[in-house]
Amino acid sequence: MSMMLHRRSVLSGGLAALSLATLGGGSALAQAARLRMLWWGSQERADRTNKAIAAYKEVKPDLTIDGEFAGWSDYWPRLATQVAGRNAPDLIQMDYRYIFEYARRGAIAPLDDHLGKGLQIEDFGQMNIDSGRVDGKLYGINLGVNSSAVFFDAAAWEKSGATPPAMGQTWEEFAENATKMSENKPKPGYFATADSSGLEPSFENWLRQNKKSLYTPDGGLGYEPKDAADWFTMWSKMREAGACVPADVQALDQLNIETNPLTMGKAATAFAHSNQFVGYQALNKAKLSVTSYPKISKDAPSGHYLKPSMLMSVASGSQGIEAAVGFINFLVADPKGIDILGVERGVPASASMRDQLTPKLDEVSQSMVKFIADITPEVGDLPPAPPPGAGELAFVLTRTSQEVAFGKLTPAEGGERLVKEAETVLKRK
Amino acid sequence: MTDAVTSSRPSLGGQRSPIRSVLLHGALILFSLAMLYPILWMISGSLRPQEELFGSSSLIPSSVDLGGYIRGWTGLRVSFGQFFWNSLFIAVLATIGNVVGCSLAAFAFARLRFGGRNFWFALMLGTLMLPYHVVLIPQYILFLELGWVNTSLPLIVPKYLATDAFFIFLMVQFFRGIPRELDEAAVMDGCSPFRIYWKIMLPLSLPVLATAAIFSFIWTWDDFFGPLIYLNDINTYTVQLGLRSFVDSTGSSDWTALFAMSNLSLVPVFLFFLFFQRLLIEGIATTGMKR
Amino acid sequence: MAFRSDTLVEESRAAALPRKGAMRRIFDRNIHAYVFLLPWLIGFFGLTLGPALASLYLSFTNYDLLQSPDWVGAANYVRIATADPKFAASMKVTFLYVLLSVPLKLAFALLIAMAFNRGIKGLTLYRAIFYLPSLLGSSVAIAVLWRQLFASDGLVNMALWQLFGYEGPSWISNPNYSLYTLVILSIWQFGSPMIIFLAGLRQIPADMYEAAEIDGASKQRQFFRITLPLLTPVIFFNAVIQTIEAFKAFTPAFIISEGTGGPINSTLFYTLYLYQEAFGFFRMGYASALAWVLVVIISLFTAFSFLSARYWVHYDD
Repeated sequence: MSMMLHRRSVLSGGLAALSLATLGGGSALAQAARLRMLWWGSQERADRTNKAIAAYKEVKPDLTIDGEFAGWSDYWPRLATQVAGRNAPDLIQMDYRYIFEYARRGAIAPLDDHLGKGLQIEDFGQMNIDSGRVDGKLYGINLGVNSSAVFFDAAAWEKSGATPPAMGQTWEEFAENATKMSENKPKPGYFATADSSGLEPSFENWLRQNKKSLYTPDGGLGYEPKDAADWFTMWSKMREAGACVPADVQALDQLNIETNPLTMGKAATAFAHSNQFVGYQALNKAKLSVTSYPKISKDAPSGHYLKPSMLMSVASGSQGIEAAVGFINFLVADPKGIDILGVERGVPASASMRDQLTPKLDEVSQSMVKFIADITPEVGDLPPAPPPGAGELAFVLTRTSQEVAFGKLTPAEGGERLVKEAETVLKRK
Repeated sequence: MTDAVTSSRPSLGGQRSPIRSVLLHGALILFSLAMLYPILWMISGSLRPQEELFGSSSLIPSSVDLGGYIRGWTGLRVSFGQFFWNSLFIAVLATIGNVVGCSLAAFAFARLRFGGRNFWFALMLGTLMLPYHVVLIPQYILFLELGWVNTSLPLIVPKYLATDAFFIFLMVQFFRGIPRELDEAAVMDGCSPFRIYWKIMLPLSLPVLATAAIFSFIWTWDDFFGPLIYLNDINTYTVQLGLRSFVDSTGSSDWTALFAMSNLSLVPVFLFFLFFQRLLIEGIATTGMKR
Repeated sequence: MAFRSDTLVEESRAAALPRKGAMRRIFDRNIHAYVFLLPWLIGFFGLTLGPALASLYLSFTNYDLLQSPDWVGAANYVRIATADPKFAASMKVTFLYVLLSVPLKLAFALLIAMAFNRGIKGLTLYRAIFYLPSLLGSSVAIAVLWRQLFASDGLVNMALWQLFGYEGPSWISNPNYSLYTLVILSIWQFGSPMIIFLAGLRQIPADMYEAAEIDGASKQRQFFRITLPLLTPVIFFNAVIQTIEAFKAFTPAFIISEGTGGPINSTLFYTLYLYQEAFGFFRMGYASALAWVLVVIISLFTAFSFLSARYWVHYDD
């Protein structure tokens, strides 16, 4: 008897696996009165989100939301597995990079129809709404405004008699100051700045200052070997001058807070994202400051743009899209929701919400809000959407930058190699 | 490594000269320190202020604070005690399943003669070779169809069905080391294979059964990928999932609480190890006795 | 798979059975054996086979996890064989890892197990302490710790400076050395093979040594004549298993390089590459093809081990 049962389950399992045809459908089981929500983050985000869910229960007593969460690196295999198994959560926290992958493959639902109805987000400003669009349709709601940023330990810079980074500084000045600071370093093995030659947001910022971009609107590469070579050259000079950390120290950085040279006590400056400021401060003894990227020249554009730190999307197969949209609206456009979430996910996109929240924040969070306000007049348009395969290019850039830094390639060879590999990746299906 | 004697009786060990004994212990203690260092470091990490964690490599914290243990135990919506209970439940049931399911299969492979044995044995070994990540999604769909997702069944039931070929292979190798005259004599006395399995094989295999129990328990306890995929509700989380909830490398994380709870999570596995390793030693009395 | 039947069961025994009722006995034995195998068979057909076949099917498709798979024939395998530099890079890393970590870890585990097998004071405590690193498994703490040890100003370099005045590089983040720190991690977690060796040593009957003692055999002779031969099944097991595990090694590189396989692909283990393709870049079809290539490679190694086992593994039966 049990053989029978199992043979049937083999069949159904096999069939289900083989007829993965109906995938990307989202959860067929969800009922309107019960939603599942999945996000990445740590304990603090979980606390705040669960509190928001509880508060929403008072607004909508007949709706139950089950929250699930995981750390960043666990999150994506878990989400992909659930989506592949047609068991996707209704509410899905999305990353700016992944939203293109999920939207273009039909895993999340367009929400344009709810604009002005369930979604009251007009005062986000066009840019903050558009940053949730993929191919013209709104797939994600901005949960926090974010931008590339420079974090630094001002005291360490000043103690060495060097001018710390500041808004409007040029890369040339930055390199000069950094060299000066490193010559007069407070302790051995300490440098003025981390090496961000392998960091895609930094490279993108620099390209934008040069009126280029990572990608063209038709999905090609937005820069040439010479651009990449110039970028690598600039950093190689700083590395040789001792202004930035050497290759083997930079290679310890796994693009997260705890392994950044700033946190590890090896550098006075880090290149990161503004919404990570609170996280950085928590792991650093020294008081940190935040400013914008250096520029290629005084009159060049800043290269910055406002992107969502994360977005909230709804699974395309969800039976409760309307209810899900209602909860999203509570999170981004209702003072109660905003007060509970704070700036833990980034600065609220809504101007009115931001204004009413700011006075209630602590000093560290306030400097983050102020940074976004400061750069907003200087920001440029959203970059063209990343084509499929773009995710892999961030890895290619990091690896090529390491090959240059470790002296296995010259900056010029690095530029050639980067473009060649990037084109191969983009051509691949 | 010359006097590899099975007995742990001091009478045999006592033949060593005092100098050699001192040298041996010196080496072992030095070596123990290398093994212990990470634990000491984790304990120190759980007590120190968070901003000191990554910048300094000293073992001694500048100030001591037990807050990580309190925040860790109660900080999540569900207390860590619940995670311990969930993990214990899964690990104990999985351990029993592995020992029972795998020893049955191993007995057949090691002692019984049947058609297709080599074929099945090769297939069994083959299941060890496929990387887990590519069967993950088909397996998830299978368990979803069975309605087992969001329960601990996908983490327990497969163990009773001997899906972990490692343990079968392990037991086969050990069963084959047990003198065959013993079961031949039993066959002569008219014993059925089930009696031989139960009365001769299992009692004589205590060392390997204890080994299998130790490994199953520890590996189930340490596993996080299975629970990550199959357990959604935080009330059903295991310790490993709970631990990973403290840290998210893209935002602010409570590292002190992570280290505090990591230290606590080692306690049950360590106790389990201490208890079961005694069976390893007791095993000799029986196996070495008759031949 | 090469598996020698006559090492498992004495052929002579079957032949020696009385002819009368021989058929019935064989039938009986088959029934008995399959009853013992029943749980495993259910597990194999119910839980293992379906997903394995599904992944084999997916290896002939383009499957991005979110949409249905598209049949592409052998295209994935062709690309692996002809146009994938990362395949070659990850193979090199993996083979190097297998060749270094497996023998070293086994030798180490055997050495310690033998040391433990003599009656020394405090045995229980030492054994527990030596097993501790293996208890840590793939804990997040290991990643942080390993950086503290092997970074440029880590403990290892501090010791090298104090002892030899040598200023070491940042071992863990230098592409020339990073793989070796993972080999050291693997050796450091030698607890499992150690326990298995210990269990194997325990199974060697004490009276064999007593008999040898009476015959006046030296300790060395006892080791080579008794301990080593009787331990070969366990050595064989550990070698096969550790090799398979090393080929499939994923977690150490994943936690220490945070899934990147860096610096410069120096720790890009094969399964880490496979994982990146599957979940990072949405190419589950290609990842499945990579997985089946790995299965073939491991199978060849295992088959070779079983063939060689005829010449050096001693079974008592």
